[in-house]
Amino acid sequence: MLRKGLFKKPSNELEAGGEHGEPAPEAPDRLVVRCSSCKKMIFDEDFRSNQMVCPNCGKHMRLSGRRRILTVADPGSFQETNSDLCSTDFLSFPEYTEKLDAAQRHSGEAEGVVTGLMVVNGCPCMVFAMDHRFMMGSMGSVIGEKITRCFEEAQQNKLPVVGFTVSGGARMQEGLTSLMQMAKTSGAVKRFSDAGGLYICVLTDPTSGGVTASFAMEADILISEPGALIAFAGPRVIEQTIHKKLPAGFQRAEFLQEKGFLDLVVPRKKLRGTLYRLLSLHRREDGGYGRI
Amino acid sequence: MFSKILIANRGEIAVRIMRTCKEMGVRTVGIFSEADRNALHVFMADESYCVGGPAVTDSYLNMTAILTVALETGATAIHPGYGLLSENAKFARMCESCGIKFIGPAASVIEQMGDKESARRLMRQAGVPVAEGCDLLADGAMAEAEAGRIGCPVLIKARSGGGGRGIRRVDNPCDAPAAFESARTEAEAAFGDGECYMERLMLHAHHIEVQLLCDEHGQVITLGERECSVQRKNQKLLEESPSPALDDKTRAAMYDCAAKAAEAVGYTGVGTVEFLYTDDGGFCFMEMNTRLQVEHPVTEMVTGVDLVKWQIRVAAGLPLDFTGRDLTPKGHAIECRINAENPALGFRPSAGKISLLYVPGGPWVRFDTALFQDYVIPPYYDSMIGKLIVQAHTREEAVRKMRSALGELVIEGVDHNIELHLSILSDPMFLSGCYHTDFLTCMLEGKETLC
Repeated sequence: MLRKGLFKKPSNELEAGGEHGEPAPEAPDRLVVRCSSCKKMIFDEDFRSNQMVCPNCGKHMRLSGRRRILTVADPGSFQETNSDLCSTDFLSFPEYTEKLDAAQRHSGEAEGVVTGLMVVNGCPCMVFAMDHRFMMGSMGSVIGEKITRCFEEAQQNKLPVVGFTVSGGARMQEGLTSLMQMAKTSGAVKRFSDAGGLYICVLTDPTSGGVTASFAMEADILISEPGALIAFAGPRVIEQTIHKKLPAGFQRAEFLQEKGFLDLVVPRKKLRGTLYRLLSLHRREDGGYGRI
Repeated sequence: MFSKILIANRGEIAVRIMRTCKEMGVRTVGIFSEADRNALHVFMADESYCVGGPAVTDSYLNMTAILTVALETGATAIHPGYGLLSENAKFARMCESCGIKFIGPAASVIEQMGDKESARRLMRQAGVPVAEGCDLLADGAMAEAEAGRIGCPVLIKARSGGGGRGIRRVDNPCDAPAAFESARTEAEAAFGDGECYMERLMLHAHHIEVQLLCDEHGQVITLGERECSVQRKNQKLLEESPSPALDDKTRAAMYDCAAKAAEAVGYTGVGTVEFLYTDDGGFCFMEMNTRLQVEHPVTEMVTGVDLVKWQIRVAAGLPLDFTGRDLTPKGHAIECRINAENPALGFRPSAGKISLLYVPGGPWVRFDTALFQDYVIPPYYDSMIGKLIVQAHTREEAVRKMRSALGELVIEGVDHNIELHLSILSDPMFLSGCYHTDFLTCMLEGKETLC
């Protein structure tokens, strides 16, 4: 077998000439990222062009609310509503103001949900999309208010609602007011539903707590992304309570679909097509939507 | 000049490139897979790093790992060799974004030539003859109409195709719609792009290619041609230069077209333009290879030019040091690709330990390989284990020299195709100098080929 140092290094000097070659190479910022699931290094550009889905293992990374809307809406069709609503620290909860500031800086959003009007392949609808970067989409009074208004505007304009949920649950810094949002949003969904409106909800990773227990699970059609965690209490809490190991895939989208809690598990690449198909099925020839 | 180059390849080509680098005083960085830990190129390089598992997708095609090694070792250029990442426009672009010189043409040129249909259009505009055909096919009906217009047999080809995939032969226009659908489906699955075009199938043609060398200052030179018609399943087996089938007038016209092709795309570095040549004197553009070819030593032997050295020099921005556009080759050279496979068993690949190796020597005999005594050939990679090249004054002398060199080459422990090469070198059709791309298939089946 060969061994290190077997071949002598020649004493040739470096050839002269040529413009290229120096200085030392340097990687641009964020050239590669590591997939949190398969641990493979992936070019950032590949990740982005694949809508933040790992090209190697298919892991669906989280997307900001605004980006989610852009991946399904027709270019330039999104018109934001109620963008001026912001949370305030009405209970003087310790450090809440600082947390809100940090969340606003981190996400670039005023609140944890973006609402508005969008068009999917020619089908208009109201949309709300929660943002995990804003205190993990925790539901406070402003989120509840924006989502309620979204349903009310949809009812007024006879449009369907498409929602994207991501949430850790209620915003504890707002105490009981935050819990009340469950009833408030559920009431809005009920009134919208009674008026014959179509509501499609896309539950993304993770959707849990009070959001799961209210508007997220109240849609006419429930869709999720592969591998998304959808729960009321998370798996760690359950394991610690019952002192038992949970089965593999517990509370994941595929598991919930098998048990009848979800209608569809749709990969991100096919989501726009699926939404278009569902919306167009409920659309009348004159462009309006029928009662369901 | 680059002070350190990473060689993103394995086997004989990695060793070949490292030899030139050492001559030029350039330090080398080798990469290897877990299966190649004991390979020659690992010890030949000044420093070597493992980049992943045995499968090429995990190691030699692992762009992020290779770029990381280049950045960490401070390599200012990457030589991709042939195959693997050598014609990967994305990798070329990534190197560029890290300030590392990709030794090859610009990413945009690789992209243009990788799209076979755009290359065809570009060549036609540049005045290079292309096989009669049509642009992208819209549907089956158009395929049928075009097949009727062009005249069968025709080939339906995927524009992103390669390695023989996404190609269908059509002998009757009524079969065209089905062939189009099947080519499109295969190409869509293999390359993610199902677009196809059509061109006339040229039977009994020679595969002749012209070697190019272009600098960044606009100088283009041609370094003779190579006759590569001894092929099996589109894989070349034996190459020679010059082609015994060409007359001087056609040869000059072919050089002219190759230079035009290079100028049309603003080519830099070494490259090859492949043509199909028929015995009536006509030829047409087939494709352009934007890399160093396996068979480049044939050209080196007849021109005396170290192609790898000049490839590195022009990548460093140096101007070419040759007068005139066409370099006149001297004598005749032949290359036999030695593959670890058994021709008697349907060319079944063979892997294992080399129990005895003897390499032929003597004047104008060259053996490019990464083999050594007791080396264990891993089963994961290409079966080519060496290239035997000879050069002599005439074709006849070169054939004689090759026969004796092949007789002297001893490789024990794995199956190989040395006997097959000896049969080719004694075949009257081969010796006549007029053989076509179907030569080997017919020889193996014991059939006469058309001359």
